[in-house]
Amino acid sequence: MMSLFLLLIDLGKWSPENIFGGQVLERTPAGLSILYIIGLGILVGFLIISFVDHFRRPKFVFEKNLPRQVRRKMTQTLANRSLRFWQGFFVLVAIAVFGTQVYWTYFADESNEQFQALNYKDLRNRRASASTLRGWMLDRSGNLASALAYYKVDSNGDVVRGFALEKEMAHLLGTERGTPGLERTLYRRPSNAMPEAWEVLTRIKRPQEEQRDVRVTLDRDLQAYIANQLDGKTGAIVVLDPQNGDVLAMYSNPSFSLSDAQGLEEYLRLEGNKRDKPLLNRATREFYVPGSIFKTFTLISAFRAGKQNAVFSSYAGGFKPTAGSRPIVDSSQQLGSDGSVGGSCAGGCQPKNITEAYKVSSNQYFAQLAIELGRERFRETANLLGIAAVDQPADALVQKFFPAVWNTSTSAIANSIAPQQSALVTGKDISLYDLGIEGIGQGYSGQMTPFQMALMAAAAGNLEGKLMKPRIEADHPPQAFSQVLSPQQAAAVRNIMSTVTEEPGGTGTVISAKLANTGIKTGGKTGTAEKLAPEYDAQGNLKTITRQRKNAAGELEEYKVPSMYKRVDSWFIAIAPIERPQLAISVVVEGGGYGSRTAAPIAANVILKARDLGLLGDKYRPKAPAPTAAPARKRR
Amino acid sequence: MKNRTSSHVFILVLIVGVTAIGHYAVYYGALIRGYEASPITAWRNLLLLTILAGLPILLKRFVGFEGNWTLFTSAVLLFSIGLTVQYRLFSDAEYTSRQDKASARQEKIKVMQRHYIQENYSAEKKQIMGLPATPPSPVDLSAETPRPAPETLSDVFLSGKTFNPLLGIIGLVAALVLLRRQEVLELLQKNGFLIVVLTLGPLLIAAIWSRGGKFAGNLTPWELAKIPFLIGFAAVLAILYKNLARTYWGIPRAKDALPLVFMGILPFLPFFVLKDFGQMMVFSAVYATLYVVAVRRFLQRFVLIGGVLFFVAILVVGALPVGTQEKIPLLPTLASPVKLILPDRIQQRFHLWLDGFNPPSPDTSWWKSDYDSYYKKLVEQNPNLPQMLSEDPDLQRTINIDAWFDILAFQPAQATFGIASGGTTGRGLGLGYPELIPVADSDYIFAALAEELGLFGGLLVIFALIVFVSAGVAAARQARDIFSKLCAIGLSAFIGFQALVNIGGITRALPMTGITLPFVSHGGFSLITSFIMLGMLMAISHRNSVDIKRDQVTANPRIAGV
Repeated sequence: MMSLFLLLIDLGKWSPENIFGGQVLERTPAGLSILYIIGLGILVGFLIISFVDHFRRPKFVFEKNLPRQVRRKMTQTLANRSLRFWQGFFVLVAIAVFGTQVYWTYFADESNEQFQALNYKDLRNRRASASTLRGWMLDRSGNLASALAYYKVDSNGDVVRGFALEKEMAHLLGTERGTPGLERTLYRRPSNAMPEAWEVLTRIKRPQEEQRDVRVTLDRDLQAYIANQLDGKTGAIVVLDPQNGDVLAMYSNPSFSLSDAQGLEEYLRLEGNKRDKPLLNRATREFYVPGSIFKTFTLISAFRAGKQNAVFSSYAGGFKPTAGSRPIVDSSQQLGSDGSVGGSCAGGCQPKNITEAYKVSSNQYFAQLAIELGRERFRETANLLGIAAVDQPADALVQKFFPAVWNTSTSAIANSIAPQQSALVTGKDISLYDLGIEGIGQGYSGQMTPFQMALMAAAAGNLEGKLMKPRIEADHPPQAFSQVLSPQQAAAVRNIMSTVTEEPGGTGTVISAKLANTGIKTGGKTGTAEKLAPEYDAQGNLKTITRQRKNAAGELEEYKVPSMYKRVDSWFIAIAPIERPQLAISVVVEGGGYGSRTAAPIAANVILKARDLGLLGDKYRPKAPAPTAAPARKRR
Repeated sequence: MKNRTSSHVFILVLIVGVTAIGHYAVYYGALIRGYEASPITAWRNLLLLTILAGLPILLKRFVGFEGNWTLFTSAVLLFSIGLTVQYRLFSDAEYTSRQDKASARQEKIKVMQRHYIQENYSAEKKQIMGLPATPPSPVDLSAETPRPAPETLSDVFLSGKTFNPLLGIIGLVAALVLLRRQEVLELLQKNGFLIVVLTLGPLLIAAIWSRGGKFAGNLTPWELAKIPFLIGFAAVLAILYKNLARTYWGIPRAKDALPLVFMGILPFLPFFVLKDFGQMMVFSAVYATLYVVAVRRFLQRFVLIGGVLFFVAILVVGALPVGTQEKIPLLPTLASPVKLILPDRIQQRFHLWLDGFNPPSPDTSWWKSDYDSYYKKLVEQNPNLPQMLSEDPDLQRTINIDAWFDILAFQPAQATFGIASGGTTGRGLGLGYPELIPVADSDYIFAALAEELGLFGGLLVIFALIVFVSAGVAAARQARDIFSKLCAIGLSAFIGFQALVNIGGITRALPMTGITLPFVSHGGFSLITSFIMLGMLMAISHRNSVDIKRDQVTANPRIAGV
């Protein structure tokens, strides 16, 4: 009867998988090991109970009739007291040793700084992240087929990480060594990556993989296109959406191949290349002299101060802020080493209003405007645009990262793509001349990143006059950094910017020529800036000049300094389309010459490409898609 | 609960059952990672435990054992925990194979990645990856073919892992049978000096022949010598303890003290030659215990305890990290002569203990050669390194940290990370990564245990240990003559301190020394020695019970039914 009853019980039901939940494989061993601990715990309890019996020593026969005094002096009693004492000591030491285990388990994470700092030496982290795969990185379309980072099966059957734009996005994604990039920060290890047995048993459910894929704001095709545009040049391009801060594309050339840089040898070689600096993301971490594009900054400041109607004359001999200072001249003028000025004023020497001056890029006008506005106005505008306003020129040379400008879900992501913070000197010590040339993008305003200049253009391009915080995660809500201008002022600034590209006589008319058939109206500003740069020979070695000086003993000795040359950098910032800007572009090409000649055509190409990709909205979408618009997806 | 054989057999059978659960957890955890843990080994382990569970019945029937079974049962409990953790470690190819570590690791990672993809990736994703487009589904382990365990039946049963416990059991029975006889005890007590000298001779020869504390492969036969040393010291102390009480300011007469000091120093000679500082620590603690138990006056104890504290203080002061020393005035001056005397190995261990996460500067005497060889290897890979180093002073710090954690600090650091990752209940058997800790089966078994069984696992071991030592102390308290009293406390102190020195070394409560965790660690001679010690303790406990029974009979014959 009993055996019949036993047969009725389905044994399968009582298998550990069924008891602990087979949905998650790890639950079975986790549950069993907790059962193991509990079982052994009960047995230890039994043992303690079984031992209680032996706690008191039975008296010897002869002891029973001895007087107490004598009994206390007996060796037995004395030695046994020592034994008791020793036993207590042992238990205390055992518990203290156990206490150190408690310390490492519970407190070291928080209180032991060295332990935290060296946590990366824990091989378990690597093992845990190797066996749980990172999420995929999708571009702004969100299609799995156009993933930027994904997994593939290689010829050995191993699952390996693949990148659609290995060279084009190398700076953004970052390598596995050195400072982390998006690849290492977007997919931070989930907090439950190393769960305890009871957590496995009670909490862990199957992860929602779809949620762990990250859709970024980049456009895969645009990113590939801008990388192509900089082919063979040294420079950077940043493309933002001024309305919500989306980073549509960002590239710095020269770049490197991500898979090559995973090896230590190649990485060290890249790091040692001081001439090309392929590991440096020029878009966010290299300072350039902005030149004329910085007049946009002065323009914005003028609107903020209500000085947009100021009229200044230009002078054939240049503008001298104070009686003895060097003259500030237009780019169409030449300043001789003796202080003589040749050539004519940009756009004529007659009095000009701000629109006219911006269109022809009049240095003299904007220098006078800068002095009229003063340091405090510059400081305010700089703060609103995310530029550090510093008191001393030396402070401007201190490089610091500026992750706070990003709109990201975690600080780690912001840190991994943080730009170098651009700086502007607005202290009391700078002279009127310094202030004047600051207003035209020279002198103490010469510490600007291409990324920062794109933000400046985006502030003007925003319909509400706000500077939106740039963002890289497409599913993160947009956020404003500051209210730079009122909506009306922003519209007026855009109008002035459009004269550069749209009206004859503007410095950027090459743009409107290229976009002639599309109906897209744009705004922009050209810039050409000289920067002293070290010279390298064909082998990539630094050229040096040998000089002589007297040393402490009064003898002549030779020393070497790097040979410097004047590099002319080509700049262009653009917003398009002008009535509702969808793009804010900043282009810099090192040694590219005039902004209108090198950087502006690139910006025009980027706008055309964005139109083809539909980034400017349906209004400007070409009727028949251009053949280059949708290249065949090739799977790698 | 009375000290009935049947109730202890019941507990022992339960231990076998619980261990079976643990082994199944390990087996299942291995399947998740794509390999099979040898079922033969599991059955072998259970068989060993079954033999141990049946042993009390045999001992009761044929030897007439009357003593305290708690000693035996708690030791078997510790042994069973050890078997489970060892089963976990030895089933992992990444842990056992010497050459193929990387490929074994890669295979495990591959299997887990495959499981992850199967469970989580949508059909579209799988298709893009070039895998069969199936919707996400739970993994069915029964449909997979894990890599089979390489062990065959003869591998398992003819290995030392089978023979050593069996030899241990034989040693236990032999010790029990011999030592319960009065004449054997008397023989030992009277020839203490002879025993020590006879042990010392072959031991010193073996020590000089040995390489790095190991003999003929991986054997440490001197583990066995611990027993005669202990007996010898206890015997001498048993003769001298009364004379020692005649003191002048706590210091006994030279005539009484010198033989004792001589006997006390003898075991340190071979272990010093072997550089086995762990054994030296345990021996000093055990001898101090014996002395404290044997002497009768407070001042005498004070002199010893004060002396030991003073000695330890000198050691610690000398080995304190430089950064800490500089904070206290005069300390560097005091420490410098001590530093000169201390062997490099002790300085290393002390640094690892007190400041293990902070690499010493590359100029430190005991670290320089290791650092230099590591640096040389790096330069071979990258000839530009010296130039880069001159440009970037931070680089040397980075290299030093890497070298430190790759060479000396690797094992202790991984062990500490393991303990930290274990948490309260551990990662679960077969779910942690104790295979990352080198030699986790012997010296570092507590780290492996703490990682997979957590704080509770550690607590189990500590409690089982306390129960064992308390039972040993109870045997000592009930012992009639001072010799067996000292033997009992010496043996239990030996096992207890050895365990604490081992666990403390891993949790950084004490400096780490290469010493095993008794009954838990995988070991040859150390395990056999532990079992023999257990047998001796049981013999003394048995004698006590017989004595008590005899007393009861003498006092009240009617109760005993005579």
